Amino acid sequence: MSRRAHRKPSPVLWLAFFAAFSLLGGLGAFFFQKDGDPYRTVERLKPEDYYENANSLKGNTYQVEGTIANSLGWSQEKGRLFSFRVHHGGGDRPLPLLVPPRFREINLQKGQKYRLKVRVNDAALLEVEEMSKA
Amino acid sequence: MGFSGRIGDFFIVAFPADVRILWNVLSLDSLELSLPAAERPLLSDINLHLPGGHFGAIVGPSGCGKSTLLKTIAGILPHTAGTIRWGGRNLDEKDLAPHELGYVPQFTCAQPRLTVRENLSYAARLRRSGSAADIAELVEQIETETGLTDLHDRRAGVLSGGQLRRLGLAMELTTSPSLFLADEVTSGLDPKSEEEITLLLQGLARQPGRLVLLVTHSLRFLEQYDSITVLTGGRLAFCSRPADLCAYFGATSPEEIYPLLARRDPASWGEEWISSPEELGFEAEAVVEELAAEMTLPEAGVSAELPSLVSQATTWFGRRLKLFFRDPAQAALQLALLLVFPAVVTLFAWNGLPNVKNMTMSPATNAFQQLKDALEFTSQSAKISTLVSGLAMFQVILLALMGSNNAAREVVGDRAILEKEKLAGLRPAAALLGMTGFLSLLVLVQSGWMTLFVRAVGQFPGDLLAQFLPFALVTAAVTSLCLGISSWTSSSEQASLGSLYLVGFQLPLSGAILALPEFLGWMVRPWISAYWAWSGYLQTLRDTRFYDLVRAVTETPLAGSEISAWMLTLHLFLGLICAFFGIRRSDWR
Repeated sequence: MSRRAHRKPSPVLWLAFFAAFSLLGGLGAFFFQKDGDPYRTVERLKPEDYYENANSLKGNTYQVEGTIANSLGWSQEKGRLFSFRVHHGGGDRPLPLLVPPRFREINLQKGQKYRLKVRVNDAALLEVEEMSKA
Repeated sequence: MGFSGRIGDFFIVAFPADVRILWNVLSLDSLELSLPAAERPLLSDINLHLPGGHFGAIVGPSGCGKSTLLKTIAGILPHTAGTIRWGGRNLDEKDLAPHELGYVPQFTCAQPRLTVRENLSYAARLRRSGSAADIAELVEQIETETGLTDLHDRRAGVLSGGQLRRLGLAMELTTSPSLFLADEVTSGLDPKSEEEITLLLQGLARQPGRLVLLVTHSLRFLEQYDSITVLTGGRLAFCSRPADLCAYFGATSPEEIYPLLARRDPASWGEEWISSPEELGFEAEAVVEELAAEMTLPEAGVSAELPSLVSQATTWFGRRLKLFFRDPAQAALQLALLLVFPAVVTLFAWNGLPNVKNMTMSPATNAFQQLKDALEFTSQSAKISTLVSGLAMFQVILLALMGSNNAAREVVGDRAILEKEKLAGLRPAAALLGMTGFLSLLVLVQSGWMTLFVRAVGQFPGDLLAQFLPFALVTAAVTSLCLGISSWTSSSEQASLGSLYLVGFQLPLSGAILALPEFLGWMVRPWISAYWAWSGYLQTLRDTRFYDLVRAVTETPLAGSEISAWMLTLHLFLGLICAFFGIRRSDWR
């Protein structure tokens, strides 16, 4: 064991230390971001496909991200119907969004951004299955 | 009396039915200490052999290397050539154990706000294991030995110079060291106090196997020493009995020696001493002859075991807490920050957060009305989002400031005492644990009160514990980063400035006020604690309209609460690891 005065931290130790910090930070970001996107395995809906032939998409499940625009209607049994603006291809395309009654506790307002998992229902509306703020 | 003699580094005393090796011999062989930038070595060609049970003085004019030699023997300064042996052991291969060495520096190691007994008690508890009763008994014994009994309940800050030096010596005696080094402990004392300290040291040197070396500028009371070592310009000019001193230099009194030394080159004094006839030089064997009758090996049963890491950390924590409450200015400042900072935040929302008026969602509304709604909403959004985001960031920055105030001086403020205590066996990890314990209390109180008070006055929605977490983590992270800064800087001013810069850059680089260019944001944000705390806090408002408004206005992406907590925890550990290495490094000045 050398004397106390000779003990100095090695520069290699510092480099290893900062490399470890960067690695841990990167791993954390990767892990938590991946974990923070619950719909990452669900296909993203292309508005032009919907516009082209919405009936052909019936029964399919997609993820979609956009902004609540206007309230289009409401029914106690079926829920709330909104126009939902999806940013795509340099512009916003409105899509019909049906929010079923089980989400009635969520305060939906114009201008809110949401990421949704939707199913194209029998009426070719995008029916919300899961929703989270974007 | 039988035979005594020296074989290599060992002194051997042979009695008719017993042969003893006196292990405690200090041997310096061709010792040299050079600095890269210095013209000449600070120490050169020093050869000394001093046995235990011996009281030696190291004297010489200012700048001759007396204190440097003492620090080199203690292992504080690294010698560049030669060897130092203690009891035949090369100290480059195995250093002195903390309990073997007593080193009393020029500065006081006592905490001025603690009493004499408290200082001694904490010194003992940091250096040796034992029950509370054992430690108390030891402390009383040392007080008696050093004449401090009547002063035991007096605070160190009000002691006289002589009493303070006595306390410094007493603190070193808590481990019964065999090598006792005292640096200028008689400087600046009146003649009576100087004589008392010299006699005290002389008495300590009469302990079996203990070598006491005192560096002094004073040439008074030379007859009290067993040997006098004279240094000049880093060279050994003399080392022998006090009686030989004046004769060797051709002086009529010791006071004439320093002017005589100045007349010649130090190297010529060194060469003259080396070439002196042997009988003039100090022969340690002669001292052995004198002392052998009263010297024995140190008893093997005496426990020299260091306390455990946890025990040292607990002792450090207890002492830090006591010092905090004994310092009214520090406690008052902390209390003022604790009360004023949250109050300042609530000035901006003393009546609670405003209601959010939503836009009409009916498509039947005419275009003019929709446009008017949108305009009002945009104006309201800008105001409310600025308020909510600003209040979140304001709390974060004020907590970061409190964190900086907590730790900026924690290490550097008492660095000299820390170094001394490390030399005496305090583990860096124990000091860090003790500091962490104390600072954790501050962090919990500060972040807890900020969260509760602002939330209650501003009527913030969201989960209380979820809001407390990013605030506690950011306070802890900045505190630990400032602790790291404190452990790597050389003055309190530098540490305070560094910590203020750390906090000052948090606001502009967080992106909460102005969004950074995308590439720069990705580069910078991982290092900005305030960004993660701000994001983490705003995520707790996710289910409210306030979150929507902030999202609508701010261009800086908000991180999720999990990644925010993760990054702040990383910052916390980054600071702690920096602080550990900073505390561990040697920083004697």
